[in-house]
Amino acid sequence: MKKGLAKFSPFQVDPDKVWADYDITELDFEAATSSEKEDLVLLRKSVSYWRDAARRFRRNTVSMIALFVFILVLLFAFLGPALIPYDYAKQYRSSQKLSPGEYSAQELLIKSIEDEVDCMYATALQPGSMTALDARDYYFEFKGNTYAFTLDQKLADSVIVLQGKDLSIVKNSQINNGKITGSEPLAYTSEPSDTAKELTVVKSVFPHVVGTDSQGRDLLARTMYGTRVSLIVGIIAAFIVLIIGSLYGAISGLCGGAVDFVMMRLVDLMYSVPDVLIVLLLQVVLKDPLQAWFDASDGLIANALSTLGAGIVSIFITFGLLYWIGMSRVVRGQVLMLKKQEFVTAATALGASNARIIRRHLLPNCVGQLAILTCLQIPSAIFLESFLSFLGLGVSAPMASLGSLCSDALGTLTVFPYRMLFPGAVLTILILSLNLIGDGLRDALDPRLKK
Amino acid sequence: MLIYILKRIVAAIATVVLIMAITFVLMNTVPGSPFLTEKSTPQQIQQANEKYGLDKPLIVQFKNYLVNYAHGDLGVSLKMQQGTPVKTILFHQGKFQLSAKLGLLALLVAVSFGIPLGCIAAYKRGTWLDGFLRVLTTFGIAIPVFVLAATLLVFLGVKAGWFPTISGTMTSWKAYIMPVLSLSFYDVCYIAKLTRTTMLDAINQDYIRTARAKGVKTKWIVLKHALRNSLIPVITVLGPMIAFIIAGAFVVETTFSIPGIGKYFVESILNRDYTIIMATTVILSMMVIFMNLVVDIAYKFVDPRITLSSSDE
Repeated sequence: MKKGLAKFSPFQVDPDKVWADYDITELDFEAATSSEKEDLVLLRKSVSYWRDAARRFRRNTVSMIALFVFILVLLFAFLGPALIPYDYAKQYRSSQKLSPGEYSAQELLIKSIEDEVDCMYATALQPGSMTALDARDYYFEFKGNTYAFTLDQKLADSVIVLQGKDLSIVKNSQINNGKITGSEPLAYTSEPSDTAKELTVVKSVFPHVVGTDSQGRDLLARTMYGTRVSLIVGIIAAFIVLIIGSLYGAISGLCGGAVDFVMMRLVDLMYSVPDVLIVLLLQVVLKDPLQAWFDASDGLIANALSTLGAGIVSIFITFGLLYWIGMSRVVRGQVLMLKKQEFVTAATALGASNARIIRRHLLPNCVGQLAILTCLQIPSAIFLESFLSFLGLGVSAPMASLGSLCSDALGTLTVFPYRMLFPGAVLTILILSLNLIGDGLRDALDPRLKK
Repeated sequence: MLIYILKRIVAAIATVVLIMAITFVLMNTVPGSPFLTEKSTPQQIQQANEKYGLDKPLIVQFKNYLVNYAHGDLGVSLKMQQGTPVKTILFHQGKFQLSAKLGLLALLVAVSFGIPLGCIAAYKRGTWLDGFLRVLTTFGIAIPVFVLAATLLVFLGVKAGWFPTISGTMTSWKAYIMPVLSLSFYDVCYIAKLTRTTMLDAINQDYIRTARAKGVKTKWIVLKHALRNSLIPVITVLGPMIAFIIAGAFVVETTFSIPGIGKYFVESILNRDYTIIMATTVILSMMVIFMNLVVDIAYKFVDPRITLSSSDE
């Protein structure tokens, strides 16, 4: 039946045929059933803007790989420090200047007995001032059991070992060729006293995977921490740029006229200022007053900012002062373009308030652009932060960022190249993945721009 | 045209004054006197302030500062080479010349490698060569200058031993290779990427089809029609590129121990020698602004279609 209907097209009519030759019956003129109607509906379910963008992004193999790599870097930075026993700031005096995977003499000595014991606490492997234990109460936990004991004199150059149910003190000199040649038993209970201090025991000596620096700080821990600092600085700086830039651009674009003219001339002027030089100048000049303010003030903001350090705060100030220009130009352009669109005119004609137009029409249409720009701002902020830290500005020790780690490694580059190459590689991978994610986001959110 | 050039020159001067105002404000925000040392007494500081005119009202100081800079008096170094005029340090000790040579070489390399690579990638679109170049350029704009410089230094300098690891005063041509390569790599990649995009844009234009229909050889289409028109966006990035090369020079000269203006600037930052920092900032900024001016005017000559009002977006 339907077949006959489909044939009935003016373009397929054979002029030699008479109407009766076509297979048309009265049935063809009956109303279609609902199932037949449904078959003809070609529309699919409407897809929202974000879902559509997400689908396009997922199809982009390069962006998906970049996203995966970025997630790995995130895990490295935020989960990594929990997996290794070393701290980014602590100096392990016995393990200075180690190559990747190398053990110090002390570590080798302790490591040689690790098969014989269940767990241990070696004073020689502790950081900084902890290399000797004071005489007091201690406790540690191992496999769900608590071991509490009291030291009646100061303990140094020794290992507290647990073998089965025996807790004992082994002096470093009593370890010979991987054998414990003598020990002094240590009485313990399972109830720690109130003043007892907890010790962290280890099963085996953890290797310094990428070595240590000349102060004996573990480089892997520092790189993880530095990645975290660089990431946080990049993200916060990008958001500062987002807020200032979009507000400035939106006000300029919405007001128009003289306000727009003045605001845009200011932007033009600032655009021609070579930013890197002013940034360096600002970094130098801001550091001391900021530090003085942190030291003097006791307010909540000052305290919060002082934990970040003067270097990082001045990076934020610099971004707030100089880097919103590109963003404000794009937002102004978008607002100007959207303002003239018919749907805005229609909304105005229907009596919508300005606030409603901004909320319902302008903002949703700008969000894609804002997301793209913010995403691309993060790697450039990380770039700038690492550049400043490399020049000795930005973050300062014991804090670390990827740039400051490279800077620290510069002096010994020819002797210990991995100290530079490892954080450098992480930095490059981070920036690369963020750039590619930004590109993918642009292609996904604004397919018109795709080249 | 003349009016446009005049307008641009006025704008450039306004920018220079803005930068000088910024540096002046910042110079005065720095706490403490520049003459404050462990030994100095209040009287000595007072005397020094009087000697250098720092006791006058700020507006008079700003006027003096502008006049001094206009006369080429950049003040004296406060710490690094105490008492020596900044001008002597920057220009008469070969620092500026060395950095300028390095920067211009890097710019030359960036243009003379970036544009052909971009053309090749566009011409061989979709082939393995295009793919390779795309990976290389994407990587090139992600790697920070200091990471690249250090990597080159370790692998080509220390491990392979092909080039000297300390470039010093650049006496042999070999000493130039690694600094110039690391300084220009980002720009080569950036220009190549940009050229490829604009070339592909140009290739799809009607006039290319017309030329093809007339039977013009592909080589000539690329060189005469496509390249010329795709160069306009490339010219615009040359201005910002100078700023980028200057920033890169700070890092590269520090890494390769080249006693140029960049390395000295970094040292003056670490030593907080404010007069040197200010003078260098102003001089380098002026160079960047001047280059932007030249580029903007050149832009007009390359493409007469471009309207010359600066406010057009």
